[in-house]
Amino acid sequence: MDRQEIETLIGRVAMNDRAAFSALYDATSAKLFGVCLRVLHNRSAAEDAMQDSFVKVWKHASRYQSNGLSPMTWLITIARNTSIDRLRATRKGHMDIDTPGLELAASTAGPEQLAVAAGEARRLTGCLDELAEDRGAAVRGAYLDGHSYADLAERFSVPLNTMRTWLRRGLISLRECMSRE
Amino acid sequence: MLDESMPQGDDLLAAELVLGLLREEEQREALARSATDPAFAALVAGWQERFVPMTDAIAPVNPRRRAKKRLLKRLFDTGPVPLSQRLWVWKGLSFAALAAAAYLGVQQLAVDPPSGADAIYATQLSGTETPLQVLAVLDLAKGDIALNRVAGTEAEGRSFELWAIVPEAAPVSLGVLTAQSTMRVSLPQSLRDRAGELTLAISDEPAGGSPTGEPTGSVLAAAPLTEL
Repeated sequence: MDRQEIETLIGRVAMNDRAAFSALYDATSAKLFGVCLRVLHNRSAAEDAMQDSFVKVWKHASRYQSNGLSPMTWLITIARNTSIDRLRATRKGHMDIDTPGLELAASTAGPEQLAVAAGEARRLTGCLDELAEDRGAAVRGAYLDGHSYADLAERFSVPLNTMRTWLRRGLISLRECMSRE
Repeated sequence: MLDESMPQGDDLLAAELVLGLLREEEQREALARSATDPAFAALVAGWQERFVPMTDAIAPVNPRRRAKKRLLKRLFDTGPVPLSQRLWVWKGLSFAALAAAAYLGVQQLAVDPPSGADAIYATQLSGTETPLQVLAVLDLAKGDIALNRVAGTEAEGRSFELWAIVPEAAPVSLGVLTAQSTMRVSLPQSLRDRAGELTLAISDEPAGGSPTGEPTGSVLAAAPLTEL
Protein backbone atom coordinates (compact mmCIF):
# COMPACT_ATOMS: atom_id res chain seq x y z
CA MET A 1 0.00 0.00 0.00
CA ASP A 2 1.52 3.33 -0.99
CA ARG A 3 1.78 6.55 0.95
CA GLN A 4 -1.26 8.07 -0.71
CA GLU A 5 -3.48 5.11 0.15
CA ILE A 6 -2.40 5.08 3.78
CA GLU A 7 -2.92 8.82 3.99
CA THR A 8 -6.43 8.41 2.58
CA LEU A 9 -7.20 5.70 5.12
CA ILE A 10 -6.00 7.88 8.00
CA GLY A 11 -8.21 10.67 6.65
CA ARG A 12 -11.20 8.35 6.68
CA VAL A 13 -10.33 7.09 10.16
CA ALA A 14 -10.43 10.74 11.27
CA MET A 15 -14.08 10.67 10.16
CA ASN A 16 -14.66 7.64 12.41
CA ASP A 17 -14.78 5.27 9.45
CA ARG A 18 -14.43 1.83 11.02
CA ALA A 19 -13.94 0.01 7.74
CA ALA A 20 -11.01 2.31 6.95
CA PHE A 21 -9.60 1.64 10.42
CA SER A 22 -9.79 -2.09 9.80
CA ALA A 23 -8.06 -1.69 6.43
CA LEU A 24 -5.37 0.52 7.99
CA TYR A 25 -4.78 -2.12 10.64
CA ASP A 26 -4.45 -4.85 8.02
CA ALA A 27 -2.00 -2.77 6.02
CA THR A 28 0.25 -1.58 8.84
CA SER A 29 -0.12 -3.76 11.95
CA ALA A 30 2.69 -6.18 10.97
CA LYS A 31 5.20 -3.34 10.65
CA LEU A 32 4.01 -1.69 13.86
CA PHE A 33 4.04 -5.01 15.70
CA GLY A 34 7.59 -5.60 14.44
CA VAL A 35 8.65 -2.24 15.88
CA CYS A 36 6.93 -2.91 19.23
CA LEU A 37 8.57 -6.34 19.38
CA ARG A 38 12.02 -4.87 18.61
CA VAL A 39 11.67 -2.40 21.51
CA LEU A 40 10.02 -4.68 24.04
CA HIS A 41 11.45 -8.12 23.17
CA ASN A 42 8.28 -9.73 24.51
CA ARG A 43 5.36 -10.88 22.45
CA SER A 44 2.55 -10.19 24.84
CA ALA A 45 3.89 -6.77 25.90
CA ALA A 46 4.41 -5.91 22.24
CA GLU A 47 0.86 -6.92 21.41
CA ASP A 48 -0.46 -4.67 24.16
CA ALA A 49 1.71 -1.79 22.95
CA MET A 50 0.52 -2.29 19.40
CA GLN A 51 -3.07 -2.32 20.55
CA ASP A 52 -2.55 0.89 22.55
CA SER A 53 -0.92 2.44 19.48
CA PHE A 54 -3.92 1.71 17.30
CA VAL A 55 -6.24 3.10 19.97
CA LYS A 56 -4.21 6.34 19.76
CA VAL A 57 -4.42 6.24 15.98
CA TRP A 58 -8.21 5.92 16.18
CA LYS A 59 -8.52 8.74 18.68
CA HIS A 60 -6.03 11.14 17.18
CA ALA A 61 -6.29 10.54 13.44
CA SER A 62 -7.79 13.98 12.99
CA ARG A 63 -4.49 15.49 14.15
CA TYR A 64 -2.50 13.68 11.54
CA GLN A 65 -3.22 16.03 8.67
CA SER A 66 -1.76 19.10 10.30
CA ASN A 67 1.50 17.66 11.56
CA GLY A 68 3.09 17.29 8.15
CA LEU A 69 4.64 13.89 8.82
CA SER A 70 4.60 11.10 6.29
CA PRO A 71 1.90 8.60 7.28
CA MET A 72 4.28 5.73 8.08
CA THR A 73 6.50 8.06 10.14
CA TRP A 74 3.47 9.11 12.15
CA LEU A 75 2.30 5.53 12.73
CA ILE A 76 5.75 4.13 13.52
CA THR A 77 6.53 7.05 15.85
CA ILE A 78 3.34 6.32 17.80
CA ALA A 79 4.23 2.61 18.04
CA ARG A 80 7.84 3.32 19.01
CA ASN A 81 6.92 5.87 21.68
CA THR A 82 4.13 3.73 23.10
CA SER A 83 6.54 0.79 23.35
CA ILE A 84 9.27 2.84 24.96
CA ASP A 85 6.82 4.24 27.51
CA ARG A 86 5.80 0.68 28.33
CA LEU A 87 9.44 -0.40 28.57
CA ARG A 88 10.29 2.48 30.86
CA ALA A 89 7.26 1.83 33.03
CA THR A 90 8.99 -1.38 34.08
CA ARG A 91 12.10 0.53 35.08
CA LYS A 92 12.60 2.60 38.18
CA GLY A 93 11.85 6.34 38.09
CA HIS A 94 10.32 6.13 34.68
CA MET A 95 8.88 9.06 32.79
CA ASP A 96 6.57 8.81 29.82
CA ILE A 97 8.03 10.25 26.67
CA ASP A 98 4.48 10.59 25.43
CA THR A 99 4.00 10.95 21.74
CA PRO A 100 5.12 14.17 20.18
CA GLY A 101 3.23 14.04 16.94
CA LEU A 102 -0.08 13.43 18.57
CA GLU A 103 0.00 16.91 19.98
CA LEU A 104 2.22 18.64 17.46
CA ALA A 105 1.22 22.18 16.50
CA ALA A 106 0.35 22.62 12.84
CA SER A 107 3.84 22.59 11.50
CA THR A 108 5.31 25.53 9.60
CA ALA A 109 7.28 23.05 7.57
CA GLY A 110 5.83 22.89 4.10
CA PRO A 111 5.63 19.63 2.18
CA GLU A 112 8.89 20.48 0.38
CA GLN A 113 10.72 21.06 3.64
CA LEU A 114 9.56 17.75 5.04
CA ALA A 115 10.28 16.01 1.76
CA VAL A 116 13.83 17.28 2.22
CA ALA A 117 13.90 15.84 5.73
CA ALA A 118 12.50 12.55 4.40
CA GLY A 119 15.11 12.56 1.63
CA GLU A 120 17.83 13.18 4.18
CA ALA A 121 16.46 10.33 6.23
CA ARG A 122 17.61 7.89 3.58
CA ARG A 123 21.13 8.93 4.48
CA LEU A 124 20.63 8.16 8.16
CA THR A 125 22.19 4.74 8.22
CA GLY A 126 25.30 5.87 6.39
CA CYS A 127 25.59 8.91 8.63
CA LEU A 128 25.14 6.89 11.81
CA ASP A 129 27.95 4.65 10.64
CA GLU A 130 30.05 7.71 9.89
CA LEU A 131 29.75 8.87 13.51
CA ALA A 132 32.31 7.62 15.96
CA GLU A 133 31.06 4.09 16.43
CA ASP A 134 29.83 4.43 19.98
CA ARG A 135 28.01 7.70 19.29
CA GLY A 136 26.04 5.99 16.54
CA ALA A 137 25.29 3.16 18.95
CA ALA A 138 24.18 5.70 21.57
CA VAL A 139 21.69 7.31 19.18
CA ARG A 140 20.34 3.89 18.25
CA GLY A 141 20.19 2.93 21.92
CA ALA A 142 18.11 6.01 22.71
CA TYR A 143 15.77 5.54 19.78
CA LEU A 144 15.25 1.79 19.81
CA ASP A 145 15.94 0.84 23.42
CA GLY A 146 14.65 3.92 25.20
CA HIS A 147 17.97 4.62 26.92
CA SER A 148 18.18 7.90 28.81
CA TYR A 149 21.38 9.91 29.16
CA ALA A 150 21.90 8.20 32.51
CA ASP A 151 21.48 4.72 30.98
CA LEU A 152 23.87 5.60 28.17
CA ALA A 153 26.45 7.07 30.56
CA GLU A 154 26.40 3.83 32.50
CA ARG A 155 26.57 1.68 29.41
CA PHE A 156 29.55 3.59 27.98
CA SER A 157 31.15 4.15 31.40
CA VAL A 158 31.39 7.93 31.12
CA PRO A 159 30.11 10.67 33.45
CA LEU A 160 26.56 11.89 32.72
CA ASN A 161 27.60 15.35 31.54
CA THR A 162 30.22 13.90 29.25
CA MET A 163 27.58 11.65 27.77
CA ARG A 164 25.28 14.57 27.19
CA THR A 165 27.91 16.71 25.46
CA TRP A 166 29.08 13.75 23.48
CA LEU A 167 25.68 12.74 22.18
CA ARG A 168 24.74 16.34 21.37
CA ARG A 169 27.89 16.68 19.29
CA GLY A 170 26.93 13.42 17.65
CA LEU A 171 23.49 14.80 16.80
CA ILE A 172 25.03 17.94 15.30
CA SER A 173 27.40 15.87 13.16
CA LEU A 174 24.50 13.66 12.19
CA ARG A 175 22.45 16.65 11.08
CA GLU A 176 25.37 17.97 9.05
CA CYS A 177 26.07 14.63 7.46
CA MET A 178 22.42 14.10 6.56
CA SER A 179 21.96 17.52 4.99
CA ARG A 180 25.05 17.06 2.84
CA GLU A 181 24.25 16.58 -0.82
CA MET B 1 30.63 24.34 24.19
CA LEU B 2 27.12 24.42 22.89
CA ASP B 3 25.24 27.64 23.09
CA GLU B 4 21.58 26.97 23.86
CA SER B 5 20.56 30.36 22.53
CA MET B 6 21.78 29.53 19.05
CA PRO B 7 19.18 28.31 16.56
CA GLN B 8 21.00 25.01 16.70
CA GLY B 9 19.96 24.84 20.37
CA ASP B 10 16.31 24.46 19.41
CA ASP B 11 17.12 21.89 16.79
CA LEU B 12 19.07 19.87 19.34
CA LEU B 13 16.28 20.20 21.87
CA ALA B 14 13.87 18.85 19.23
CA ALA B 15 16.18 15.89 18.56
CA GLU B 16 16.47 15.15 22.28
CA LEU B 17 12.71 15.37 22.67
CA VAL B 18 12.16 12.89 19.85
CA LEU B 19 14.75 10.49 21.27
CA GLY B 20 13.23 10.84 24.75
CA LEU B 21 16.45 11.99 26.38
CA LEU B 22 15.24 15.01 28.30
CA ARG B 23 14.77 15.27 32.03
CA GLU B 24 11.20 15.38 33.27
CA GLU B 25 10.67 19.18 33.45
CA GLU B 26 12.53 19.79 30.19
CA GLN B 27 10.48 17.08 28.58
CA ARG B 28 7.22 18.60 29.75
CA GLU B 29 8.23 22.07 28.58
CA ALA B 30 9.45 20.84 25.21
CA LEU B 31 6.28 18.80 24.67
CA ALA B 32 4.12 21.79 25.52
CA ARG B 33 6.15 23.90 23.12
CA SER B 34 5.83 21.38 20.33
CA ALA B 35 2.06 21.63 20.74
CA THR B 36 1.97 25.43 20.48
CA ASP B 37 5.04 26.68 18.61
CA PRO B 38 4.78 25.85 14.88
CA ALA B 39 8.47 26.51 14.19
CA PHE B 40 9.53 24.17 16.97
CA ALA B 41 6.92 21.62 15.88
CA ALA B 42 8.53 21.68 12.42
CA LEU B 43 11.92 20.85 13.95
CA VAL B 44 10.39 17.98 15.91
CA ALA B 45 8.64 16.66 12.79
CA GLY B 46 11.95 16.92 10.90
CA TRP B 47 13.74 14.74 13.46
CA GLN B 48 10.91 12.23 13.54
CA GLU B 49 11.32 11.84 9.78
CA ARG B 50 15.10 11.60 10.11
CA PHE B 51 15.13 8.98 12.86
CA VAL B 52 12.36 6.72 11.59
CA PRO B 53 14.63 4.90 9.08
CA MET B 54 16.21 3.22 12.11
CA THR B 55 13.10 1.04 11.93
CA ASP B 56 13.58 0.21 8.22
CA ALA B 57 15.58 -2.89 9.04
CA ILE B 58 12.91 -4.16 11.43
CA ALA B 59 11.00 -6.96 9.74
CA PRO B 60 7.20 -6.87 9.87
CA VAL B 61 5.74 -9.55 12.12
CA ASN B 62 2.11 -10.57 11.83
CA PRO B 63 0.34 -10.23 15.15
CA ARG B 64 -2.03 -13.01 16.16
CA ARG B 65 -5.48 -12.75 14.62
CA ARG B 66 -7.12 -12.37 17.96
CA ALA B 67 -5.14 -9.16 18.58
CA LYS B 68 -7.31 -7.41 15.99
CA LYS B 69 -10.49 -8.83 17.47
CA ARG B 70 -9.47 -7.60 20.90
CA LEU B 71 -8.65 -4.17 19.54
CA LEU B 72 -11.94 -3.78 17.68
CA LYS B 73 -13.83 -5.01 20.71
CA ARG B 74 -12.01 -2.56 22.96
CA LEU B 75 -12.76 0.37 20.66
CA PHE B 76 -16.21 -0.35 19.37
CA ASP B 77 -17.96 -2.77 21.66
CA THR B 78 -18.68 -0.35 24.45
CA GLY B 79 -22.40 -0.68 24.93
CA PRO B 80 -24.58 2.29 24.01
CA VAL B 81 -23.31 4.45 21.18
CA PRO B 82 -21.22 7.28 22.66
CA LEU B 83 -22.49 10.64 21.54
CA SER B 84 -19.28 12.46 22.10
CA GLN B 85 -18.20 11.87 18.55
CA ARG B 86 -19.96 13.73 15.82
CA LEU B 87 -20.55 11.48 12.84
CA TRP B 88 -20.72 8.56 15.19
CA VAL B 89 -24.24 9.58 16.12
CA TRP B 90 -25.46 8.84 12.65
CA LYS B 91 -23.60 5.60 12.33
CA GLY B 92 -25.28 4.20 15.40
CA LEU B 93 -28.75 5.06 14.20
CA SER B 94 -31.15 2.52 12.87
CA PHE B 95 -32.20 2.69 9.25
CA ALA B 96 -35.58 3.98 10.34
CA ALA B 97 -33.98 6.81 12.26
CA LEU B 98 -31.78 7.69 9.30
CA ALA B 99 -34.81 7.79 7.07
CA ALA B 100 -36.41 10.10 9.60
CA ALA B 101 -33.32 12.27 9.61
CA ALA B 102 -33.54 12.53 5.85
CA TYR B 103 -37.20 13.40 6.19
CA LEU B 104 -36.30 16.13 8.63
CA GLY B 105 -33.99 17.60 6.07
CA VAL B 106 -30.66 16.96 7.73
CA GLN B 107 -29.14 15.31 4.71
CA GLN B 108 -28.00 18.72 3.54
CA LEU B 109 -25.54 18.77 6.44
CA ALA B 110 -23.13 16.59 4.62
CA VAL B 111 -22.66 19.27 1.99
CA ASP B 112 -22.48 22.43 4.04
CA PRO B 113 -20.54 22.25 7.27
CA PRO B 114 -22.60 24.08 9.85
CA SER B 115 -21.39 27.16 11.63
CA GLY B 116 -22.82 29.74 13.99
CA ALA B 117 -26.55 30.21 13.71
CA ASP B 118 -26.76 27.46 11.14
CA ALA B 119 -25.25 24.90 13.47
CA ILE B 120 -27.16 21.66 13.82
CA TYR B 121 -27.11 19.55 16.92
CA ALA B 122 -28.48 16.08 17.30
CA THR B 123 -28.84 13.29 19.75
CA GLN B 124 -30.52 10.00 20.26
CA LEU B 125 -32.46 9.51 23.45
CA SER B 126 -32.59 5.86 24.40
CA GLY B 127 -34.49 4.55 27.37
CA THR B 128 -32.25 2.78 29.81
CA GLU B 129 -35.00 0.50 31.07
CA THR B 130 -37.81 1.00 28.58
CA PRO B 131 -37.70 0.53 24.80
CA LEU B 132 -38.07 4.30 24.31
CA GLN B 133 -36.03 5.73 21.47
CA VAL B 134 -36.29 9.31 20.23
CA LEU B 135 -34.12 11.09 17.69
CA ALA B 136 -33.75 14.84 18.25
CA VAL B 137 -32.29 17.36 15.84
CA LEU B 138 -31.85 20.99 16.88
CA ASP B 139 -31.70 23.43 13.99
CA LEU B 140 -30.42 26.75 15.34
CA ALA B 141 -31.37 28.57 12.15
CA LYS B 142 -35.01 27.79 12.95
CA GLY B 143 -34.60 27.63 16.71
CA ASP B 144 -36.57 24.45 16.99
CA ILE B 145 -36.02 20.80 17.76
CA ALA B 146 -37.36 18.17 15.43
CA LEU B 147 -38.24 14.96 17.19
CA ASN B 148 -38.80 11.53 15.83
CA ARG B 149 -40.05 8.79 18.08
CA VAL B 150 -38.64 5.55 16.75
CA ALA B 151 -39.81 3.37 19.59
CA GLY B 152 -41.65 3.60 22.89
CA THR B 153 -45.25 4.03 24.07
CA GLU B 154 -46.52 5.87 27.12
CA ALA B 155 -48.14 3.92 29.91
CA GLU B 156 -51.93 4.28 30.18
CA GLY B 157 -52.80 7.77 31.43
CA ARG B 158 -49.18 8.99 31.33
CA SER B 159 -47.20 11.32 29.07
CA PHE B 160 -43.59 11.57 27.95
CA GLU B 161 -42.30 15.04 28.71
CA LEU B 162 -39.21 16.51 27.06
CA TRP B 163 -36.79 18.64 29.05
CA ALA B 164 -33.88 20.87 28.13
CA ILE B 165 -31.13 21.03 30.72
CA VAL B 166 -28.12 23.30 30.93
CA PRO B 167 -25.58 23.08 33.74
CA GLU B 168 -26.54 24.71 37.02
CA ALA B 169 -30.10 25.50 36.03
CA ALA B 170 -33.45 23.84 36.52
CA PRO B 171 -34.74 21.72 33.63
CA VAL B 172 -36.93 23.64 31.21
CA SER B 173 -39.98 21.84 29.86
CA LEU B 174 -40.25 21.68 26.09
CA GLY B 175 -43.66 20.04 26.23
CA VAL B 176 -45.04 16.55 26.05
CA LEU B 177 -44.56 14.22 23.12
CA THR B 178 -47.59 14.04 20.86
CA ALA B 179 -49.10 10.88 19.46
CA GLN B 180 -47.49 11.48 16.06
CA SER B 181 -44.09 9.97 15.58
CA THR B 182 -42.58 13.27 14.39
CA MET B 183 -43.06 16.73 15.88
CA ARG B 184 -41.26 20.01 16.33
CA VAL B 185 -40.86 21.98 19.54
CA SER B 186 -39.47 25.48 19.89
CA LEU B 187 -36.34 25.96 21.99
CA PRO B 188 -36.61 29.04 24.26
CA GLN B 189 -34.39 31.90 23.07
CA SER B 190 -32.39 31.89 26.31
CA LEU B 191 -31.26 28.31 25.65
CA ARG B 192 -30.29 28.75 22.01
CA ASP B 193 -26.99 30.39 22.88
CA ARG B 194 -26.10 27.44 25.06
CA ALA B 195 -26.87 24.72 22.55
CA GLY B 196 -23.40 23.28 22.98
CA GLU B 197 -24.08 22.51 26.65
CA LEU B 198 -27.62 21.24 26.25
CA THR B 199 -28.78 17.90 27.48
CA LEU B 200 -32.21 16.62 26.54
CA ALA B 201 -34.16 14.32 28.80
CA ILE B 202 -37.51 12.58 28.75
CA SER B 203 -39.44 11.89 31.92
CA ASP B 204 -42.55 9.92 32.70
CA GLU B 205 -45.32 12.34 33.80
CA PRO B 206 -49.05 12.43 34.43
CA ALA B 207 -51.13 12.83 31.24
CA GLY B 208 -50.60 16.34 29.84
CA GLY B 209 -47.31 16.89 31.59
CA SER B 210 -45.82 17.67 34.97
CA PRO B 211 -48.23 19.67 37.13
CA THR B 212 -45.38 21.50 38.88
CA GLY B 213 -43.26 22.66 35.95
CA GLU B 214 -40.47 20.40 37.13
CA PRO B 215 -39.97 16.73 36.38
CA THR B 216 -41.95 14.65 38.83
CA GLY B 217 -41.66 11.15 37.39
CA SER B 218 -38.65 9.05 36.60
CA VAL B 219 -36.21 10.14 33.92
CA LEU B 220 -36.44 7.53 31.18
CA ALA B 221 -33.72 8.81 28.88
CA ALA B 222 -31.17 11.62 28.77
CA ALA B 223 -28.44 12.52 26.32
CA PRO B 224 -26.31 15.56 25.50
CA LEU B 225 -26.72 17.24 22.12
CA THR B 226 -23.76 16.89 19.82
CA GLU B 227 -22.87 19.32 17.08
CA LEU B 228 -22.92 17.74 13.67
